[in-house]
This record gives sequence, C-alpha cells and structure tokens, in this order.
Amino acid sequence: MQAASNAVRVPMGDSTDVALAAGGDRQAFERLYRTHANRVYSLCTRMSGSRSKGEELTQDVFVRTWEKLPQFRGESAFSTWLHRLAVNVVLNARKTEGTQASRTDESDVGDERWDVAGHAPMHIERMDLTDAIAKLPAGARRVFVLHDVEGFKHEEIAELCGITSGGSKAQLHRARLLLREALER
Amino acid sequence: MTNSNMTCEAFDAALPDYLEGTLDVSMRASVEMHLRECVRCAGLVRDLENIREEAAAMPDLVPSKDLWTGIEARIAAPVIPLTARPERQKRFAPAWMGIAAAALVVSTAGITYTLTSRSLTKPDSRPVAAAPTGETQPPLDTGSATQPSNAIAAASTGGSGTLPETRRPSGQRGGIPASLASQPQNEPSHSDAVYGKEIEMLQRVVSERKTQLDSSTVAIIEKNLQIIDAAIAQSRAALAKDPASMLLSDQLTHALDKKVELLRTAALLPSST
Repeated sequence: MQAASNAVRVPMGDSTDVALAAGGDRQAFERLYRTHANRVYSLCTRMSGSRSKGEELTQDVFVRTWEKLPQFRGESAFSTWLHRLAVNVVLNARKTEGTQASRTDESDVGDERWDVAGHAPMHIERMDLTDAIAKLPAGARRVFVLHDVEGFKHEEIAELCGITSGGSKAQLHRARLLLREALER
Repeated sequence: MTNSNMTCEAFDAALPDYLEGTLDVSMRASVEMHLRECVRCAGLVRDLENIREEAAAMPDLVPSKDLWTGIEARIAAPVIPLTARPERQKRFAPAWMGIAAAALVVSTAGITYTLTSRSLTKPDSRPVAAAPTGETQPPLDTGSATQPSNAIAAASTGGSGTLPETRRPSGQRGGIPASLASQPQNEPSHSDAVYGKEIEMLQRVVSERKTQLDSSTVAIIEKNLQIIDAAIAQSRAALAKDPASMLLSDQLTHALDKKVELLRTAALLPSST
C-alpha cells in the first residue's frame, strides 16, 4: 500500500519558500501554490466529488495555509502538513453543510444511492475512475480517497473523520464494491 | 459456489480483512483455497485489487482556471494597523454590545450636548478623533466653531493613504491614533485614509465573494453592516455637533473597528459547499 505519504511527493526547495512565505513573502507563497496546487486540488475535488467545489476548497486551503504557515514548525514535510491541512479544510467545510451533509454522510452506510447530491438514483454509464469516485456516497468517497488514493491509514482516517477504524474499513470495502459495479457497466 | 472449506458468503465476509492483509494464517489459507476454486470470487478479488492499484496511481487533476488570483485577493485583504485596545474595550466582547453601547452613547451625548452647549464657555479646539490622553473624561466644549474630522467623514467611503498591511503579518492595533490630536481638523488624517482604504478594499473582496457564500450568511452580514453603518452615521452626526468629544470619537472608532472586523471576517469565510 502506498504510504500516507503519497503526500510526500516532496518537491525539493520548499523549505526556502516556506520560510519566506511564513515571513509574509507572497511571491514565495505563490511558488508554493504553483508547486502544490494540483495535488491539493485533486484531493479537494475527489473528496468533495465536484470540480467546482474542489476549486473553491483549494482556494480555502491555501488561504488557510497562508494564515497557519507561521505555525509550521517543520516537524514533517511541508507537503505532508499541507495535505493534512487540506483534508481538515475539506472535512470542516462538510460540517458546515448542515442538513445536506447529514443526508450523505456516515449515515449513508447501507444506502445505495449513487447520486451524492441527494437526487434520484441514477445509472452510471461507462466512466473513468475519477467520475465513478465522484458518484460514490459521501462517506464512502471520503474514505476511499483518503485510503486508496491518498494513502492514509484507517486509524488516521478514523481520527480525521470522527469515525471508528472499523467504520473506515467498512466504508472502504463498500466503496470498492460500488466502484467495481460502476466500472463494469 | 462452494468448496469444502468455505462458502462464497463466508468468503465475502472475510474479503475486507483479506485485502487488508489482516487475516490470521488459517483463515487466509481457507480464503486462498476458495479463490483457487471459485471463478466468481477470484474475479472479485482481481477487480478490487485493480481498483486499488489504479486509485493509487491516479494522476493529479488540474483546475480549470488559475486559482491564484482569488487566493491572492483574499490573502491580500488589508488589515488596518491596530494597536492594543484599551483594556476597558475588551469587556465588549460581543459585537452587538459595543454597537448598542455606541448608539446609546451617541444618542445621550447628543441630547446632553444640546442642553448644555449654550451655557459653556468656548473651549480650545480639541481635535475630533483625539485618542485618549490619560484623562478619564474630556472637558465638554461647545465645538461650535469646529468641524468633524474629514477622517471620520471619509472613513467608510475610502480615501487616500498608504495601503494597509496584508492581514497575516499583524501590525499595531489601535483606533484613531493620538497623533491625530495635534492635527488640524480640516486635514484628512492618515488613520482616516487607512480606515477608508481598508473598508473599501474589504468591501470589494466581500462583494466578489458573495456568490461563494451561503445566501443566509450573506444576508446576515449585510444586515449587520447596516446596523454598524447606522451606528457610524449616528456617531458622525453627534460628532458634527460636538467635535471635541473624546467619548463620541471613541465610539465612532469602535464602530469603525467593528465594521472592519465584520468585513474581514466575511472576506475570510470559507466558501459554502
């Protein structure tokens, strides 16, 4: 299994820009953005299931990063720190969704709706994995993205998502089965 | 399909742990024996492992547009350089207490001024928005010949002046600085320009972000801004009548701070999802 740490595709040379950006250098921060934008955007898009939402969340992530950067102590790679911060931003955004979130969150275990937006069940035509992931129920999608795409461990996912490790495993298995079914169509 | 050791149902139950590699040795042996004999279950495992491998190798996605512009606008939202606030103001933690207090003080001060100004002697020309100088209560003067500071008048509409700092690297805190006390009243102050500039820029950022925010949140922000603007207008009107009042000046500063604070908060709100 890939390590969490997919997050650690560390571009060399981050440390200088991190230090400069932490001191308020916006040009250095823009370089960090250019280096990491696609990975953060990928995470946000896959976890949210929407490209437009992924773009909004990506902006939120980097604004938050700018605010928190002075607190970055270098105890982990910047990319790892950024990645975890991104996960938290996405999960916190989900919490603000209110009732809509509650419909599509962990409570959707066993609910075989494919349309995470809460519309009527839909048939999935042949699609690539990215699109199939986007159609997963929210809880299963988050766990699948964090585990199989991003390489987080179940214990980490449980902590991040506020679920149990067993719940994370169950969601992951369910997500894989749903993806298989979708990709076979 | 079944074999002598395991049914497909039992296999399905064991599959998550099998894929996780957490089965004990004997159970794993049973599963593998079943896989050798069951086409359906072998195909299932193969497919799920393929999905896992493909997921791990998925390439990064690319945004449809450059997101940096939006990020830069938000992190560049200026911060008015504020110095430490007087301790007493920290008591007004809830914004509305401060706003309500400001409105109340403005009203009562206006009445008091009206009733007393005629009987008072002509005072020195204390500048409008003078910062506290250590006095607990400024002398009440008629202010009949003085005008409200341009700074105050311009505060919510913008003005010239240097750009405030970006919001993260925080600077000093403080409302209208003491230096204003020595400034001729008919000259715009730097702090006024800063207030005006800050509010103008923040309003622009908030305006651009409205579509990204929840509509109910936008409605609340706008309603609160109206309340604060009303407090600012009342303070300015009262100061026009009593430009030397430090109390009114303080209240105006407080209301302007609240406006900046609310706009800044709105500018930094995460997008609704």
